[in-house]
Amino acid sequence: MGPIRWFFTVPLRLRSIFRRNQVERELADELRFHLEQLTDRYRARGLDDAAARLAARREMGGIEEYKEECRDTRQVGLLEDLAADLRLAGRRLARTPTFTVVALLTLALGIGATTTIFTVVDSVLLRSLAYHDPDQLHVVDGTHAPASIIAWQAENRSFDGMAGAEWWTATRTGGERGEEIEALRVSANLFPLLGVPPLLGRWLSAADDVPGRNRVIVLGYRAWQQRFAGAADVIGRTVVLDGAAHTIVGVMPASFRFAPYWATRAEFWAPLALGGRAADRTGSSLRVFGRLKPNVSVGQAAVDLVAIERRVNPEDDKVADRIRVVPLLDLVVGDVRGQLTMLLGAVVMVLLVACGNVAHLQLIRAGAREREHAVQAALGAGRGRLIRQSLLESAVIAGAGSLLGLGLAVAALRLLVAVGPSRIPRLDEIAMSGRVFAFTALITSLVAALAGVGPALVTSRAGAALVLKEGRGTSESVRRRRVRGLLVVTEFAMAMILLVGAGLLLRSFAALLRADPGFDPRGVVTLAVSVKGTPLAEPGRRAPFFYEALESLRGLPGVTAAAAINHLPIHGDNWNFSYVTEERAGQRESERSRALFRIITPGYFRALGTPLVAGRDLSDADLATGAQVVIVNEEMAEREWPGGDPIGHRITVDDRDWFTVIGVAKRIKQGPWTEATKAEMYFPYGEAAPGATGLREMLSPAYLTVVLRSAQAPDALARAAAALIATRDRGVVIADVITLDAVLAGELAVPRFYLLLLALFAGVALVLAAVGIYGVISYSVNRQTREIGLRLAMGATRGGSIARVLREGTALAGLGTLAGLVGSVLLTKRLGSLLYRVAPLDPATLIAVAAILLAVATLASLVPAIAAATVDPMKALRAE
Amino acid sequence: MLPSVTEWSVTMSRPTDLVQGTLDLLLLKIIAMEPQNGWAISQQLKSLSSDVLQVSDGSLYPALHKLEQQGWISAKWGISENKRRAKFYSLSRLGRHQLDRETDQWSRLSDAITQLVRLREA
Repeated sequence: MGPIRWFFTVPLRLRSIFRRNQVERELADELRFHLEQLTDRYRARGLDDAAARLAARREMGGIEEYKEECRDTRQVGLLEDLAADLRLAGRRLARTPTFTVVALLTLALGIGATTTIFTVVDSVLLRSLAYHDPDQLHVVDGTHAPASIIAWQAENRSFDGMAGAEWWTATRTGGERGEEIEALRVSANLFPLLGVPPLLGRWLSAADDVPGRNRVIVLGYRAWQQRFAGAADVIGRTVVLDGAAHTIVGVMPASFRFAPYWATRAEFWAPLALGGRAADRTGSSLRVFGRLKPNVSVGQAAVDLVAIERRVNPEDDKVADRIRVVPLLDLVVGDVRGQLTMLLGAVVMVLLVACGNVAHLQLIRAGAREREHAVQAALGAGRGRLIRQSLLESAVIAGAGSLLGLGLAVAALRLLVAVGPSRIPRLDEIAMSGRVFAFTALITSLVAALAGVGPALVTSRAGAALVLKEGRGTSESVRRRRVRGLLVVTEFAMAMILLVGAGLLLRSFAALLRADPGFDPRGVVTLAVSVKGTPLAEPGRRAPFFYEALESLRGLPGVTAAAAINHLPIHGDNWNFSYVTEERAGQRESERSRALFRIITPGYFRALGTPLVAGRDLSDADLATGAQVVIVNEEMAEREWPGGDPIGHRITVDDRDWFTVIGVAKRIKQGPWTEATKAEMYFPYGEAAPGATGLREMLSPAYLTVVLRSAQAPDALARAAAALIATRDRGVVIADVITLDAVLAGELAVPRFYLLLLALFAGVALVLAAVGIYGVISYSVNRQTREIGLRLAMGATRGGSIARVLREGTALAGLGTLAGLVGSVLLTKRLGSLLYRVAPLDPATLIAVAAILLAVATLASLVPAIAAATVDPMKALRAE
Repeated sequence: MLPSVTEWSVTMSRPTDLVQGTLDLLLLKIIAMEPQNGWAISQQLKSLSSDVLQVSDGSLYPALHKLEQQGWISAKWGISENKRRAKFYSLSRLGRHQLDRETDQWSRLSDAITQLVRLREA
């Protein structure tokens, strides 16, 4: 019965609820039909119309009354049944408030945590990017030369359009103060490729994509709101960027972001206008985007592009390795995919532990009501009804728990977005979607089923006769004991896995804190200074400006060292240049090694606190004579001149000017902690004679990051330094003031984030598992009171009783820990790049975690064990 | 034999008086013979029971609706013999089981009662 009947009756009930009018009309029609038939009969007997109608009415009786009765039949049944049962479940739950509150909170915690993480997974990993048909959008990974892109755009057969984009840090002048704005230069066809229409004005057009006519920009929504106060007449206004007036031609809608995985803070887009650079085959600064044609695979597309690139760069024999076509979303989510999946797995384990506890609580309640149930069963209540009761109770708890959990999730998400490291992509897009609610509903039903059906099955299977025959206080059935044991083992296995994960992250984090970044961050503040767009940027004026500025900064009170570099380690850009040593001169471009390209002023290493392991620092004399000298890092020295002395050897980047190695600097951290140190070369900042080409021309960029070491408070020092520099020219832009301590802390944000979350989950799981084992053991002790009393009466010692109970607890926990160990072996590999100098199967962590779990299990079992030992044998035996 | 009380409906109020209880059986039986509308059912009820069972025309409908809500009969709109729109009831698979069960119970009950009333008084 039951479900089969529902098949017939549920549609009827739903119909009478949702199609009430129609149902009412049909009822009236049906009764009118009967009345008409009766009237017909009276008419046939010879009565006139009016009399026949009257007689029929009289015979039929009170029609409205019958209608009411018919309506009643609809309401009696499933819904009322369900409501009555829910009320019953509610009453039962209210009778045991402790159980209800504990179960409710446990599930709210589990469901809330799971919903939170799933929302993040959904928003970051599952939701499509906000472009037209985003699944077809792909990236040719890495950076590429203008000539390659031009050839690909013209000749490829795999894409419906390809576009390039290049980072542009634009200096805006003409306002109160100069400032730097992140922007992108993009191919004009990028916008149609992405398919997002502008909010105002127009996209960039092919006509804009030509040098000379390229002084136009399309604004992002945020820039429009913040810099132009959302002015409706912004189209046609001009902005001075890098010294030239640019006209605003369009504004993109609020949801539009580009690029989604790099240069994410770009505020506007300008034409790429390659012009003369179109023939450049080596400078690779462009990212390439394309809309893959339907039914073309990424592999086919790569083969297509490689063939074209071989014609562009015939001497490059690594083309096939270099060119990879990757879905855009993959680049956006990157290794976050693995990390978030790891978190989701972790939080599901927490949910399982929570579920285990509630199931156990249900089991205890079911046990307490066993006799009641047995009587009910003997009187004819079937097993179905008992299951239904248990299921409804857990459904009520799970339902209420999930509502509470959703509330928790909303709060937790807000916190998560606030503290989440900026390196996790799309964090600002996090929002609960229909999919999240569906997921929560699904896990809620699963939780209700797991925590409700299992215990009910076990309970009702115990034959009624058996239960009635046995008195209270006998030991429970083997089956039930097994289920209890299984719950505890599972909980400890989950807790073990989570604790191992958290332990590994903790050890990794400790290693990060101890790790030597290669410099001394204390008391160092840095300022990015740019003269772009000012008269100071003109040839012959840059080097004097920067060197004079540094000299005056050294005069500030408390400053012990002042120097500058083009891109700050970790925080700044990493430019990789290929080079060749004299020994390998003539090596082809494609075979050359690459090293990070730095430009520094003398005293940089002293300011940073980085020792030189060999040779000497740059000197003012080097600058004065324009000596072509370079300092390399240990990594590069060991790679190029292993075992030998690098000093005096020469390298070149452009096959024109040779630079002599004068010093070797200690390794400095350059990026994420888990990455290996790359080779690095430091060239002196200095201006070449007018008309110089190649590398020399690049050694005097219009911007530098000033590094100040002092005992002063960083804020005050930065303000003083900025004021001092501004006296030179009002247009000089000072941006991005940050201490080296903050740079390092930023590097720790990601591991700290995962560590905190995983530690939180592990902590919750451990507490729940402890509560679980305590519950199981104390229940088991409770059931055995008579037996224990008997043993004590027969001469067993109290110590022996304690030991027996403890053995039971630690055996279960031990089994769970062992299972968790196996799980850890399988799962900790997933932590991958989050681990720093810790093996995924670090024995110290495994041993410590196992010890913690067993200690917790022992402590949790000790309380009931002592209770067992203090049983008064006489009382225990007399009871019932 | 106790009346069949299913697990699902113990909380539901069920008619206890004999005629009401038997009315379900009679209706199911009549509908089992041939799907028909409420009017035809009422006529058959009268003629087949030789007018012994007096069911007022109106009270037939709550009974029919209850059977429908139980899932034992299902209703469909059709055209009556004199071309009027009428609601036709037919027996469902569940109704067939229910009819068998109630028939069985009825015959046991009536056998028992028959035996009892035929006992000779001493």
